Amino acid sequence: MQTLISQLQTRFQLSEFILQRDNLAFVTVTREQLRPLLLHLRDKEGFTHLVLLTAVDWIEDNIFQLTYLLGDRTAGCDIGVRLMLPRDVASMDSIHDLWPTAATYQRELREMFGIDFPESPRVDEDFILEGWTDLPPYRRDFDTLKYSQESYVDRLGRETKDPAAYMKLKLYPDEDNDG
Amino acid sequence: MSVRDLLSPFIAWKHLFREPVSIRDPFNREASERYRGFHQNDVEKCIGCGTCEAICQNGAIDMVIVEGVEGIKTRPGDSGLRPRIDYGRCCWCALCVDVCMTSSLTMSNAYKWVENDPDKFRYIPGVDKKEWDNVKQGYHRPDGHRLNAPERIEMPELEPAERIDSFVEIVGGYSVEQARLEADRCVTCGICVATCPTHMPIPEYISAVRDGDYERGLKLLYDSNPFSQICGKVCTRRCETTCAASHEGDPIAIRWLKRHITEQVPYEKYRDIIGGPLPATGKKIAIIGAGPAGMTAAFDLARKGHEVSVYEARSHAGGMTRYGIPEYRLPFETIQREIDLIVSMGVEMHYDTRVGTDIQMQQLQQDNDAVLLAIGLWLGRGTRIPGADHPHVYKAIDLLRRIRDGEQLEAPKSMVVIGGGNVAMDIARSVARLQKQQQGEINVTLTALEDKAHFLADPVEIKESIEEEINIIDSRGPQECVSDDQGKLVGLRSWKVLSIFDDQHRFAPTYDESDEQLHPGEWIVEAIGQMSDVSLLGDALTEKLEWDRGRLQVDDDGHTSEPWLWAAGDCVKGPDIVSAVATGHSVATSIEAMFEQKEAQNA
Repeated sequence: MQTLISQLQTRFQLSEFILQRDNLAFVTVTREQLRPLLLHLRDKEGFTHLVLLTAVDWIEDNIFQLTYLLGDRTAGCDIGVRLMLPRDVASMDSIHDLWPTAATYQRELREMFGIDFPESPRVDEDFILEGWTDLPPYRRDFDTLKYSQESYVDRLGRETKDPAAYMKLKLYPDEDNDG
Repeated sequence: MSVRDLLSPFIAWKHLFREPVSIRDPFNREASERYRGFHQNDVEKCIGCGTCEAICQNGAIDMVIVEGVEGIKTRPGDSGLRPRIDYGRCCWCALCVDVCMTSSLTMSNAYKWVENDPDKFRYIPGVDKKEWDNVKQGYHRPDGHRLNAPERIEMPELEPAERIDSFVEIVGGYSVEQARLEADRCVTCGICVATCPTHMPIPEYISAVRDGDYERGLKLLYDSNPFSQICGKVCTRRCETTCAASHEGDPIAIRWLKRHITEQVPYEKYRDIIGGPLPATGKKIAIIGAGPAGMTAAFDLARKGHEVSVYEARSHAGGMTRYGIPEYRLPFETIQREIDLIVSMGVEMHYDTRVGTDIQMQQLQQDNDAVLLAIGLWLGRGTRIPGADHPHVYKAIDLLRRIRDGEQLEAPKSMVVIGGGNVAMDIARSVARLQKQQQGEINVTLTALEDKAHFLADPVEIKESIEEEINIIDSRGPQECVSDDQGKLVGLRSWKVLSIFDDQHRFAPTYDESDEQLHPGEWIVEAIGQMSDVSLLGDALTEKLEWDRGRLQVDDDGHTSEPWLWAAGDCVKGPDIVSAVATGHSVATSIEAMFEQKEAQNA
């Protein structure tokens, strides 16, 4: 793995790799580096399998992180290629022509994070959230609890107590909290 | 058409004789080992903090009252509530298990449950008995997997070598970044509020730190505690003993976060944020003693618009915080800022005025609508062992006061302290500093009846004392202050303690007399407790008042048996700043209620 990493770094002028385990490493690339690197890994280095394509919402930094995880089945090792996208222009080039299964991942990311992949097959069709009208639910500014409370009615008989208020009632009912 | 195409239907037939891969009886299939099934709760471990409810993204959890179940009771550190889960909403994500502060909440791998009544799918795990209650398999939070950091953000402090030769404050205070990280550890459950004697709104002010809204934080602090700067430095922080985070990690540094708020707001802004007094009412109150209890009551009553006069025997206000706590823990400046703020509410201060000598109780009674006694505990208790009447046997409280008063004490070459509480640590560490300054080396021995695990002092005090080369010898019973032929004090003779209390938990120490030691000391300091000097009351009033084993008896509001006289602080509650603040508040409320009652009668 270490030899491969050194070769890749020279060839593509990549940033530091993070060696997670002996058989798993991550690297962060630019948009321009992504496609040539994926092609090279697939066709020259034996990373023929797209294990997954997923995203992380770094809302504090206004960034979506895409992770393309590629696997070399024979060698039993994986490389994760990370790409940072500006959160407010969430659009990325499709790789369905490199791996047809990517289309499914991209459709899922479009639905769950609102990240667009123009020209990816059926990318605008509903994936599992039929008729969804709210913010994409994996975005961190989506308020899951609020959505749940608005969408699903509580059964009758639900009631709850605030622990601190209940303790005041039971342990010091006559004392003021504010002096 | 190839041969293969012709044969393929027959090839499929061979599968007829294979072992089937499908499950014959899918209804009785065992779930996998770590499957997330119905919840379990160890209700005796659970503290009812409601963090599971707070994190649930489906609103599936309610905190409900549970009565008549053994091991569940509302008490400090436990709300007595327990989570009830609605499986109509639960999505089995296990966030509730991951966040649980005590690891009481887990999930079994049971996933089958058939009922006709949908309301049945809502139960209190651990209380409503279920067949999976004792199932071992299921989802438990994996070791090391934590949603909130278990370790406290370390407070910057002076190293022992940097601090031992001066009275410079040891603790540095959090930076904004450190404070936010520490505040982020808090789950704002509010379990701690009941434990704070004055019930400060702890989760709310910690949230203010998190939001960086320090002015809001300061308002919250001073609405409940006019000694917030002081408590931010030296509070006994009982709240931290019941903190939900303490069950599986360090308690939140509540005291340091309070300190942080007071340090972030410019002092000039304090008064505007806290707010000034209401218009004058013409009611007059005299307060005896300018310590935390007296000044808290003065703060509350002055803000209501009453005319408050405080009579203080010494030259400065602050009471035990000014004259008892060493400067390396609490600088003068902090106390002065606190006092100035309270006085700015319109409190009239009479310093160097000893009631009973400079002015009589009777006079105060005549001139005021109410009188508050907040005289603290200024008489040190003695061991009464042989030789304890030697002039170089001191009471800790007297020595601390002299040091704080600026007297240039000439430190002894060696000293023995009797006692294992905070006052004992304070005097040991103060004299160690004087020794270091004057002689270059430290020779202080501290002996206590208790073994180290049962010392009454704050564990931090013990740790820092050891760092400062205080020689702590535990389980020693003082027997005699020994002098040589010339009458010079040479040390303390002690026996090994076997037990401190008898079967009825009465104080009755027993010793191993064969294990005798002489701890060398030119001075011996007794730090075994304090009592009130009530001589100011005079014989007639002392006779009239009700007493409880030497302590002035008061009701829950601090009212004595005399309608015009209240008492608060250490002299009724024992030594503790924040408890003194709490009693200061409650007498102020009680005095205010008396005024309102009188007004209603006159109307």
